[in-house]
Amino acid sequence: MNPLAATRRRIDGWFLSRRPPSDTLALTQRNVYIVPTPAGWMLAATLLVLLVASINYQLNLGYLLTFMLAGCVAVGMHVSHATLRGLSMHLMPPEPQYAGSAAVFRVVLHNARRSARYGIGLAVRGSGHWAWCDVPAQGSETVEIAFQPARRGLHAVPPLTAETRFPLGAFRVWTVWRPASSLLVYPAPEPHPPALPAGEPLAGDASASVARAASAGEYDGVRAYRRGDPLKLVVWKKAARAQAAGSDELFSRDTQQAQRQQLWLDAQTAGLPDLEARISRLCAWVLMADRLGVDYGLRVAGQQVPPAQGEAHRRRCLEVLATCA
Amino acid sequence: MRMTAWVGALPRDARDTLFLLGVIGIVLLPQVPELPWWCILLTTIVLVWRGTLAVQSKPLPSRWWLVALLAVALAATFATYRTVLGREAGVTLVVVLLALKTLELRARRDAFVIFFLGFFAMLTNFFSSQSLLTAVAMLVALLGLLTALVNAHMPVGRPPLAQAARTAGWMALLGAPIMLALFMLFPRMAPLWGTPNDEMTGRSGLSNTMRVGSIASLALDDGIAARVKFDGGVAPPQRQLYFRGPVLSDFDGREWTAPPPWERGFLSADLRVQGEPVGYEVTLEPSNRPWLLALDAPVKPPQIPGLRVMATPDLQWVANRAIGDLLRYRAESYPQFQSGPLRRTGALQRYVALPPGSNPRTVAMAAQMKADPALADAATPAYVQAALDRLRTGGYSYTLEPGLYGNETADEFWFERKAGFCEHIASAFVVLMRALDIPARIVTGYQGGELNGVDGYWVLRQADAHAWAEVWEAGKGWTRVDPTASVSPGRIGAFQRLAAPPGLFAGAIGTMSPTLAQNLRAAWEAVNNGWNQWVLNYTQSRQLDLLKNIGFEAPSLQDLATVLLWVLIAASLAGAGWTLWERSRHDPWLRLLGRARHRLEKAGLSLPEAAPPRQIATQAMAHFGAAGQPVHDWLLRLEAQRYAKTPEAGLPALRAEFRKMAWPR
Repeated sequence: MNPLAATRRRIDGWFLSRRPPSDTLALTQRNVYIVPTPAGWMLAATLLVLLVASINYQLNLGYLLTFMLAGCVAVGMHVSHATLRGLSMHLMPPEPQYAGSAAVFRVVLHNARRSARYGIGLAVRGSGHWAWCDVPAQGSETVEIAFQPARRGLHAVPPLTAETRFPLGAFRVWTVWRPASSLLVYPAPEPHPPALPAGEPLAGDASASVARAASAGEYDGVRAYRRGDPLKLVVWKKAARAQAAGSDELFSRDTQQAQRQQLWLDAQTAGLPDLEARISRLCAWVLMADRLGVDYGLRVAGQQVPPAQGEAHRRRCLEVLATCA
Repeated sequence: MRMTAWVGALPRDARDTLFLLGVIGIVLLPQVPELPWWCILLTTIVLVWRGTLAVQSKPLPSRWWLVALLAVALAATFATYRTVLGREAGVTLVVVLLALKTLELRARRDAFVIFFLGFFAMLTNFFSSQSLLTAVAMLVALLGLLTALVNAHMPVGRPPLAQAARTAGWMALLGAPIMLALFMLFPRMAPLWGTPNDEMTGRSGLSNTMRVGSIASLALDDGIAARVKFDGGVAPPQRQLYFRGPVLSDFDGREWTAPPPWERGFLSADLRVQGEPVGYEVTLEPSNRPWLLALDAPVKPPQIPGLRVMATPDLQWVANRAIGDLLRYRAESYPQFQSGPLRRTGALQRYVALPPGSNPRTVAMAAQMKADPALADAATPAYVQAALDRLRTGGYSYTLEPGLYGNETADEFWFERKAGFCEHIASAFVVLMRALDIPARIVTGYQGGELNGVDGYWVLRQADAHAWAEVWEAGKGWTRVDPTASVSPGRIGAFQRLAAPPGLFAGAIGTMSPTLAQNLRAAWEAVNNGWNQWVLNYTQSRQLDLLKNIGFEAPSLQDLATVLLWVLIAASLAGAGWTLWERSRHDPWLRLLGRARHRLEKAGLSLPEAAPPRQIATQAMAHFGAAGQPVHDWLLRLEAQRYAKTPEAGLPALRAEFRKMAWPR
């Protein structure tokens, strides 16, 4: 890396570290910056040419035109700055996202003044993907900022930036915002994962694992009630649901199976050399198992999530996958 | 209505492009008369083409089209002007480039190039006209360009153009004070470098030569040559208002010319004046000639910054460069004056010279007059009087349409046609005088003028252009003789001018009410004159006068720059102050809450962001215990102030409590 870029990054880091992280940012004179754009410099050059032409041809009307334009640009500078100044931005708590997928942050912009603010763009700093919006007078507007999380893990929300060039495009008015929220990024699920691994026999039951291996993936875990099933095996929830639907069927847990087999999604059995690839596969498996509605447990990098199912369990597993080292 | 509906149904891109094309049309329209025909044709075709492409949402032509068209335009410019560098060639190229650039409207940068070329094209309009109408048209165009620019920076949806127009209008309105300050205080300086001295085309006026018949066109020209304001509003009688222009003393039989300056000698005019001077102010329209108009005859040259003005020996006032723009100056003139040598000298021989063999019958008439016993040995005045008598009684008449004259113009006037206007009459008279060996010359200029009752300015029109004679007399010098007055007394000092055939509109008004038409014209010209006086002729001297009025003893350009700087600094400070004030306009309730919060945080309480008063109160109680009680109560009252139906305490009371409260430490 050349020294110039390094210096630049250090200045940038220092600049960012000066802003206290916060999920709500009120834009004031202190955190709104303004610089002329290339078009602004072009406009300045045009004004200079107009002025020189007016002087050289002694055109008083030329002076009027030049100064009128200069006056408009000066007012435009204030209008531009006022477009961001006084705006308040609030970041909605970000949802966890999968690495590598298209995702959005939601930001609510609130405008307290009595006129609308036009042409405000928001983006993840340095991404170049701008989301443009107008904020109505004394109202709010929600903007979705596109971004693509690169790596799994618990990250700070990247610095965001808001910018406007309204009204003349001669000035770029911008601000940098470091939100306080953090963002959980799940690993990217493997696109075409192999079938789920075979269930593991419970301790001391070696024969069953061979028998079940052929039908891996079909873990019903529930069967129709059979006369003689103990009451504690009845799945009352399911029974209630069935009764509500007008049948009096009962379901029992397949104790035989449940006792014999347990689906463990284990990094060791994922069968890939690279840790990230394995995690990626485990992620795909978790999603697959969740879709099938079976119990599953997770073992990865020394952490273990006992078998269970449901939304909370899935989240828990994905969280472990996101943060494991 | 159908038109608006149609525009309303267009996609945003097409609508914006059509609007921009319309604005470009307004920018270019006023200079159509100045442009070569091919440029007008090309520009129109390109703009219409671009508009069609926009409406039909078709792709733009390839770059080769642009290159080809640009090459054609360059070649045509060169063919028209023999250069691509001069001012007129430059203007033509700017117009063509602006039109061609619309075919290349792809990126944001292209749009900017169009805007900036547009601003420049607006300025080029002022080369040909700086009238009030042009200014109004360009104001509209400027607002249009700004609207398009603002609209281009509203990227969301399809904002109504009226919204962008409102923003642009506000910016212009708020920018107007800045414009005024800069306009009034920006030091007017001389051109930074020599500009190509383009011949200003199409501006008629007096000229250095007079081919008999050339003033006929002037007599029909209602254009304004100058405006004159007499001190105290008191003008000399109209018949004495002779504004002197070029003095023509060389005659080749057909054409009168003013000798070049080096031939006129360096003797002073030897001006002798009597009586009281008349002070006045002249606003001279640009003539692109170096001479200044002055009422006969000023002793001191008018003082004009940036110009050196000298009097020639024949009493003409000449500046060191051509008057290319509106010029205002003060002068003092003595209506009663004589000039030139008192005794006949060799230098006067020039004024009796006639080309040999020309106008033989006039020469013969002169010989006859000399032989006339009634005039024998008479002095010059007697011969002048005899010639004037002949003009008065000989059946001579004044006409604007004397027809084409042959080579012997004096002979034809005296003996055949017996009709003509001032230059025929003056020319024939001077030829006769010279044939009589009396030094005589032709003076051209403006005579009379018309008082505009609205603003008190005398208006000299091209139609007031006149030619009269000056005759040298021993013991007196040069004296003015106006032979036209003998033929047509009405021509001199009359209120009824020979009017140009009116246009259709003026004609209609004229038939309804002649005075209405006159009043309308007077009012319009007064407005125009105000424009000239206050805008076009706002010069360095006016700027310095302004400084004098605000208390500078001897203002200089430097003072002007200093004042401008201070005004700008004051404006910036005012802007900063306004921003501070705006900041303090945050909700006072929120500010008070913020102060309380700050105080508690300093005492060691950590609070979540945007905590409401009740939450702060609870936390304060939990953190400080009994010491937090007053704060707790105060915060609840603060909450009630905002949210209760009938708050018990007002904000000022709460603020007072805030100050007196025992804060926990």
